[in-house]
Amino acid sequence: MTAGGVFAAALQGVGVAAGAPFVVGGMRQVRARLEGRAGGGIGQPWRDLRKLLRKQVVTPNGTTVVFAFAPAVIAGSALLIAVAAPLFATGSPLDSSIDLFAVVGLLFIGTVALGLAGLDTGTAFGGMGASRGLTVAALVEPTIMLAVFALSIPAGSTNLAAIVSTTQHHPGQVVSPAGLLAFVALSIVIIAETGRLPVDNPSTHLELTMIHEAMVLEYAGPRLALVEWASGMRLTVLLSLLANLFLPWGIGGDHPGVAGVLVGAAALVIKVAILSTVLAAGEVFMAKLRLFRVPELLAGSFLLGLLAVTASYFFVPALGGST
Amino acid sequence: MTTLLLVPILAPAAAAATTAVIGWRRLSAWAVVLAAVSVLACGIVLGFRVGTHPQVGLGHLLRADALSVTMLIVVGTVGTLSCWASIGYIDHELAHAHTTDRGARIYGVLIGLFLAAMSLAVLANNLGVLWVAIEATTIATAFLVGHRRTRLALEATWKYVIICSLGIAFAFLGTVLLYFAGRHAGLGASALDFDVLRAHAAHLDSGVVRMAAGLLLIGYGTKAGLAPFHTWLADAHSQAPAPVSALMSGVLLAVAFSALLRIKAIVDIALGTGFMRTGLLVVGLLTVTIAAALLVRQHDFKRMLAYSSMENMGLIAIAAAAGTTLAIAALLLHVLAHGIAKTLLFLSAGHLQAAHDSTAIADVTGLLARSRLLGSAFAVGIVVLLGLPPFAMFASELSIARGLAGAHLAWVLGIVLIVMTIAFGALVHNTSRMLFGEPAADAPLVRLSGAAGATLLVGMSACLMLGVTGGPLVHLFHLAATTLGVSG
Amino acid sequence: MSSTYANAIDLTAGGFMLAGVMIVWRRELRSLVRLLAWQGAALAAFPFVEGIHQHDGALVAVGIAIASLRVGLLPWLLRRAVGAEAEDRRESTPLLNTTASLLVAGGLIVTAFAISRPLVSLDPSTATRAVPAALAVVLLGVFVMVSRRRAVSQAVGFLMVDNGIAATAFLTTAGVPLIVELGASLDVLFAVLILGVLTGQLRHTFGDTDLDQLTELRDL
Repeated sequence: MTAGGVFAAALQGVGVAAGAPFVVGGMRQVRARLEGRAGGGIGQPWRDLRKLLRKQVVTPNGTTVVFAFAPAVIAGSALLIAVAAPLFATGSPLDSSIDLFAVVGLLFIGTVALGLAGLDTGTAFGGMGASRGLTVAALVEPTIMLAVFALSIPAGSTNLAAIVSTTQHHPGQVVSPAGLLAFVALSIVIIAETGRLPVDNPSTHLELTMIHEAMVLEYAGPRLALVEWASGMRLTVLLSLLANLFLPWGIGGDHPGVAGVLVGAAALVIKVAILSTVLAAGEVFMAKLRLFRVPELLAGSFLLGLLAVTASYFFVPALGGST
Repeated sequence: MTTLLLVPILAPAAAAATTAVIGWRRLSAWAVVLAAVSVLACGIVLGFRVGTHPQVGLGHLLRADALSVTMLIVVGTVGTLSCWASIGYIDHELAHAHTTDRGARIYGVLIGLFLAAMSLAVLANNLGVLWVAIEATTIATAFLVGHRRTRLALEATWKYVIICSLGIAFAFLGTVLLYFAGRHAGLGASALDFDVLRAHAAHLDSGVVRMAAGLLLIGYGTKAGLAPFHTWLADAHSQAPAPVSALMSGVLLAVAFSALLRIKAIVDIALGTGFMRTGLLVVGLLTVTIAAALLVRQHDFKRMLAYSSMENMGLIAIAAAAGTTLAIAALLLHVLAHGIAKTLLFLSAGHLQAAHDSTAIADVTGLLARSRLLGSAFAVGIVVLLGLPPFAMFASELSIARGLAGAHLAWVLGIVLIVMTIAFGALVHNTSRMLFGEPAADAPLVRLSGAAGATLLVGMSACLMLGVTGGPLVHLFHLAATTLGVSG
Repeated sequence: MSSTYANAIDLTAGGFMLAGVMIVWRRELRSLVRLLAWQGAALAAFPFVEGIHQHDGALVAVGIAIASLRVGLLPWLLRRAVGAEAEDRRESTPLLNTTASLLVAGGLIVTAFAISRPLVSLDPSTATRAVPAALAVVLLGVFVMVSRRRAVSQAVGFLMVDNGIAATAFLTTAGVPLIVELGASLDVLFAVLILGVLTGQLRHTFGDTDLDQLTELRDL
């Protein structure tokens, strides 16, 4: 619990909270430009959030406290991950109590909260979205655990900061079969978890094709703003984790000074910008998968994660020239 | 000495080359028969010269010991009978436009290559050469099985090629692993030679040898028609032309099993006798049971003969599991007797198929009344298969039973006796319908050419001779058993 | 230097196994043949890398020969067999759906890693440690052979088994004696030729190479 660590954690929370809509806006802008449209600009999601916050709180009849509090739960869990994970520096004070499995659990809490809210509305679309969303989440959980377990074997611990610093000191292991397989598996997982193409189209207006959007159809006003903001934060946090687990250069150390944290922040901004641009550009060329094909894709990513685990157990990587 | 080792391989290859050049003519057809006779002759000559030490030739690639000589005699005998019958078969096919000149030429070439590959397999001194030879037999027989180009023949060929190629691939993996174990024990480049492996077997890593032995059992067991990899056997042996079925049933299965015998000799030293004994017992019992069960409901006499071959291979596997000198010697006698009897039966079945244009048991009635020669040839073959005296399989089965009892495997003997009774009953039931009684009114005439009749007569007398006088062969079998290193 | 060698072997083994997994995943016959060619390239890389590491020119030559056979000749033969197929080139309702196939593939890979423990513990060098990948490809190839209905897919599965076994040979002992390697390569070539001719005959006689039609020979 160092001052630098606390500063880093606070800055991470503020940075992710503020920057998440910009990430979403950036991705939308990239897609728009590639599709030949002008687009709404990077700041459009913030403008949408401001508009929604000024609206009246509307609660459908028959919903309970679940519907009311689910947005807060999902936003809170995303913020907690943002504060605890090694995004700007590895010395966050919450880091020792949050390891990989905790991160996976927090993400899952958010998904379940939203699914329960969808069920709580009692509408057909809410139920449909909830069932689809939880199916995808259930299929994705094993892969997340396997992929990050594969990364944790060389580090000998599931603590995120330990994994990041091991990768910092032995960059060769990223290029090993285990590393590459884990990267591909995690990418597919992130696409599924955040509801991007080809699993789910975030900009669709056809209710029968929705997964995530169908769960939040009944939300309006400030609660909708909270849900949208939380989705953006989840996307940002997952992209940052992907960047830092595999390309950790620039991140601040265990006892970072202010300069180290700022450098880490700048590095992360650049990495997330690049990753989100690549993701958005890829989405332009992909079509959404039919729902019954999604398990195939997720089973494939599960297999890649399994391969990553077996590879990292049996191909003991040549750490710094051993063998 | 090297000449004697090379002739059985080169003579059939030369006959195949002759057929490739001049097509199927009298000359090339008789060249193939002559090649088979030369294989038999070399086997007999080597039989007199071989002692307790194997003779090696061609730079340690080939060897002649008592086991090779025994197998060479089997190959030669069955080969001679089949190639002699092939002449009549191909003539009949050409006359009735079931095949073309090109088809006959391919047949002649492949038969020659098949014989050469089998001779190479029994004369190999080296696991690698053995593997190459057995793979070559699969390749040579692939198009022989599909010679008739009918739908059923193609289906049988596809199953045969796929299953046997997969089996052979596993055998290759087993060979690679054994080579790995040998290299790791410091054996150098000759780590696949039988003598070298046997001398150093105790130093091989047992984990790797266990994997290798399992893979080799699966691989060569597939080629030998042992369950549960037997599914190609009935189809391939029933759809192939009769002389080819005779060669495959009579001797190819046994050649594949002789590879297992050699491997067993090595593995028994490396892992103790328990591993291969258990493996062969499980596989052998499964094989005889499945074969007997499938014999009960047969409607096709060629498939019936194929399943009978499978049953006999299972019995041979059980005898090998017993592992005593008596059991191994009896096993070799069983191989020879079964080879000749199966050849006789398949050749007769071929004539039946030619006359009736079908292989259904229900279509054949009153055979003994219609043709004394064909009927008695078929009957003699069946009597040999049933294990009745005075034929050789009576002596071999009795000795196998004594071997099992001597190896403390009496419970296996019990199961085998029950299963074989079932098979006995099934065979008798099916063939008595074919042989005895009044022929149906529209039964076709059975015409046998002089050469075909002579082939059947020679086959019958060979069976009788083998049954009455074991003679010098018994000594050879005992020598083979001793060479394989068994005791007791 | 040795860590580059270890990384090269690891990467090649990973690519080898990944090509095998993709062959289980994909259905179109043309993609299968292309993936098989990639796997052949990975196979040829094993003796190539070994040869460079041990300064052994013969191994490098063997690697080049294998590349020409398994990347050039054999896929070309298979492409000809595929090209002669009529209508759509996709696998027609395979025996297992994709999700189940992928899960079975995962199970087979773990099995392969488990059973190859004695091999790795006997000789824990860099090359032998990659043997589990080769054995995994062997098991995946058997699975492909068993679960496909088109003749060309079964041939692809058989070639995968052969690739895996050849990789095992190279990784454990830097190849078996030359005569055996020669015989094995020739046999593979002949097997593929036979399978190709048979596929043609099957198509000529049955009008299709859907192997489910080959069920006329049975006992019960």
